[in-house]
Amino acid sequence: MMPLSRPVNEHSRARGRQAFENALIYLILTAVGLVTVFPFLWVFFTSFKGTADAVYSVPPQLIPLHPTLANYVRVWNLLPVWRFYLNSIFVVLSVVVLNTLFSSLAAYPLAKMKFKGRSAIFYMLLATYIVPSALTAIPSYILAVQVFHYYDHIQAVIFPYLATVFNIFLLRQAFKGVPDDLIDAGRMDGASELRIWWDIVMPVVRPSLATVAIITFVEQWNNFFWPSLMLPTLANKTLQVGLVAMQGAFVSDSRGIAAGVVMTVVPMIVFFAALQRQFIQGLTGAVKG
Amino acid sequence: MTKKFTLTPYFFLVPAVAAIAVFVLYPIFAVVYYSFTDYSIVTPPIWVGLRNYQQLFHDSIFWKALEHSFIYLLVTPTLIILSMVLAIIVNRKLPGISAFRAVFFIPVISGSIAVGIAWRLMLDTNGIINGILLAVGALKEPIQWLAEPALTLPLCMLLTVWLGAGYYMMIFLAGLQNIPEELYDAAVIDGCSSWQKHWYVSIPGLRPQITFVAVISSLAALQVFNEVFTLTGGLGGILQSGYTVVYYLWQQAFRLSHAGKASAIAMVLLVITLLFSVMNIRLLESGTEAEA
Repeated sequence: MMPLSRPVNEHSRARGRQAFENALIYLILTAVGLVTVFPFLWVFFTSFKGTADAVYSVPPQLIPLHPTLANYVRVWNLLPVWRFYLNSIFVVLSVVVLNTLFSSLAAYPLAKMKFKGRSAIFYMLLATYIVPSALTAIPSYILAVQVFHYYDHIQAVIFPYLATVFNIFLLRQAFKGVPDDLIDAGRMDGASELRIWWDIVMPVVRPSLATVAIITFVEQWNNFFWPSLMLPTLANKTLQVGLVAMQGAFVSDSRGIAAGVVMTVVPMIVFFAALQRQFIQGLTGAVKG
Repeated sequence: MTKKFTLTPYFFLVPAVAAIAVFVLYPIFAVVYYSFTDYSIVTPPIWVGLRNYQQLFHDSIFWKALEHSFIYLLVTPTLIILSMVLAIIVNRKLPGISAFRAVFFIPVISGSIAVGIAWRLMLDTNGIINGILLAVGALKEPIQWLAEPALTLPLCMLLTVWLGAGYYMMIFLAGLQNIPEELYDAAVIDGCSSWQKHWYVSIPGLRPQITFVAVISSLAALQVFNEVFTLTGGLGGILQSGYTVVYYLWQQAFRLSHAGKASAIAMVLLVITLLFSVMNIRLLESGTEAEA
């Protein structure tokens, strides 16, 4: 009877091993998930703690027993948070729209036209790609103060991002995939290149435009280095810069700082939750260009 | 196609090229020039030749910052290994797996400043981290996480890894899903165990992604600023323990108005970045040649 029972045994053993492996995997996933989520949970709960709930204690208390909005009210009253929001929204929208527009304008001839200096321009752009932003910040700062006179104005954090090499290259790749026949048909009909670009080429590469928009959106919402140099006046700050100012103003008030962190992070997390697939595909899909 | 000369392509290029010329191209030349000057931004630059570079050469804080930036590169192998393992783990069809993937991605979009500030609160001597460790009995005395010079850099690096792992995981995951199933089947027939097959199939198959992650994460590591800024409260850590090249550049340029010296630091950073990129491209090319 041995030959008959063996396969059955092996089968159930394999299934047992599979179940064990799955349990192990869920265990690892949960552990990593906890490490990932914990700071957000802690900040979230802390932001609703009143003076009755300890922020620091041994053993630690995570969940507030007497939740209150007092921290949000205090932060909101002490700092022009609504200005931070408005400034951030204005900057992010302007940069996303203008950058996507200008980058795709530039990408079109680089992908689909033959003209003098094309490769020179292409290589110039390529060369600038790896220049550290800390390097460009020094002369850009001096330009802002001495030439453009927009130091402490919101334009100062929009103009430097009107076009980015990364986005131009990404869109150039996308435009290259548009069939030439489509473009030639437009030219036969006597359409101007601008019309061809807008009416024929742009709709075809919509997924790549979404990718560029999402990358730019996340980058700009979280942008800190340059805005922190350009926006000294409280009312002109964007959220990230405002948050650091908040941290300075609320030094020993962890509950207040936590409320500030929540206000900064929540809009992005809500966006992410709503457009998960687009976010992940957009941010990582750019790798293949 | 008509061969007549037309200005059309140039019109398309003007806005973007103008912006990049002003905000990237011009700054490179300007920084080269400033690096040979004594320049406080308020008064015009004065030519001093190589003095900034000579000073940097004898500046022990600069060497320390440089050393820290190179130590920081340890985040690259850490991120590669961690994200690859995570990608292998989430690359299977199990209930709820896409929810886990999404959760791991949250730090990527939430921004290093907000997260860094949250970490700073948690790492306070009276903070939740010490609270947990004391409650579980892992510690007898609270650790002064943020006041211990030896911990500044490791904590910043941990934050970098925490922020980036989900992003690189997704890149590896996309790579894994491009590896043909037959290769795994063949490996199993050849007697590979379920973990061995990743060693013999997944890792070689992820070669392009490994190169990509190595390039991107090492360039980011060489330019780290936000993590140091937030975790040290903008001060760079006790005894300059958190000084990196970009932190030092920022301090010299924007805290002390030493635009000349900062430009010299920027030139060193540019050269290092260039060397790294060339090295990485070489690696990339040798990799694709081997595959072809």
